[in-house]
Amino acid sequence: MNTLSIRAFIPPLTRRAVPLRATTRSYAVQTAGGPTAEIFSQQHKWMQKERAARDVETSRSVDYLRDEVASRLCERILDINRHFPHVLDLGANACNIAHQLTLPSEQAPDAGPRGSRIGKLTAADSSAALLHRDADLPFNKEINIERQVLPASEALPYDANTFDAVLSSLSMHWINDLPGVLAQVNNMLKPDSPFIGVMMGGDSLFELRTSLQLAELDRRGGVSTHTSPLADVRDVGGLLQKAGFNLLTVDVDDIVVDFPDVFALMKDLQAMGESNAVISREKGAIQRDVLLAAEGIYRALHGNEDGSLPATFRLIYMIGWKQSSNQAKPLERGTGMFSIKDYLEKNGCDK
Amino acid sequence: MPGRTRPIDKFAAAVGKCSAESAVYGKCILADYNNVHKDKCAAEFMKLKDCYLKAYKSR
Repeated sequence: MNTLSIRAFIPPLTRRAVPLRATTRSYAVQTAGGPTAEIFSQQHKWMQKERAARDVETSRSVDYLRDEVASRLCERILDINRHFPHVLDLGANACNIAHQLTLPSEQAPDAGPRGSRIGKLTAADSSAALLHRDADLPFNKEINIERQVLPASEALPYDANTFDAVLSSLSMHWINDLPGVLAQVNNMLKPDSPFIGVMMGGDSLFELRTSLQLAELDRRGGVSTHTSPLADVRDVGGLLQKAGFNLLTVDVDDIVVDFPDVFALMKDLQAMGESNAVISREKGAIQRDVLLAAEGIYRALHGNEDGSLPATFRLIYMIGWKQSSNQAKPLERGTGMFSIKDYLEKNGCDK
Repeated sequence: MPGRTRPIDKFAAAVGKCSAESAVYGKCILADYNNVHKDKCAAEFMKLKDCYLKAYKSR
């Protein structure tokens, strides 16, 4: 079909008509660092962490989750064959990463501590009590660590191109402006340096969430927020890309912990400083009627055969590299030299 | 906090004595948990609560 385009006959505009008052509208774009929807109360979170860390013994007894996750994160650092002179641990909690770095690797127990390739570790957290909780334990002498208390806001006080790697373990799920913080992390990394983080996400604690919802529906006829909204696996890749990271790796790990009853789970979460800090939460404690009902529903809906209650923690690990001109890039489209189909057929991989 | 039983511990201990009632209530909700409305299992819950109150006071 060969239709003649009418466009060719319209003379081009020689001069744009200028209106008396500029009334043009362009795309509305949210500037970085601008006001974002505030979901979590940073002040309340800070208070929970301070309170939890003040009871040192209880606080240490619930480190099982953070230690395990930090350990798995440290194994990922070992995969990168490089020396890191200056590393930042963002949202360090009780410096669990620093502790894990002084232990030998599970895969190579004789190779010395995992942190042997790390020069200096800066551990930063907003809660001073939690950050300094383990400051006089022996592992502090085995690693060059500096503790730094961050202001409670989400603006990070670091210069651009400062760190050779940024780590973050189990604290990013309390950040309101995740794209903004990730962009700041990208900015303070040196070019071609990794950000390795892990956050709670997806279906974490879905057992608790569902049983509280059912209990509230039956007892009070409506639901309120008791567990945080969390980022999903699919969101994380997009977030990292939006923040300017390159060569992304995102993977998921489930840790299931069995508790004797729902109150033990809640007490542990509180001792970790991980209680609810959503701004629109119902102030005050959960009603006893609801708790009583939730215990029965949790046991009936999710309980194990031996009478314990499982709680799932879904961890999203993410690795992103700051862009640099000497990084490997994907080849241009169409430059492949041989067909994968031929290769697979030759090697006997037919359907 | 040493030397003091936290209210949640007292509560948990009392609830632990009512596992039979708790199971009945849980099964009632579970029977049709896509259609839960207010007071769906009120009778079962009141039995559970009576048991819990008795256990809580008997300490």
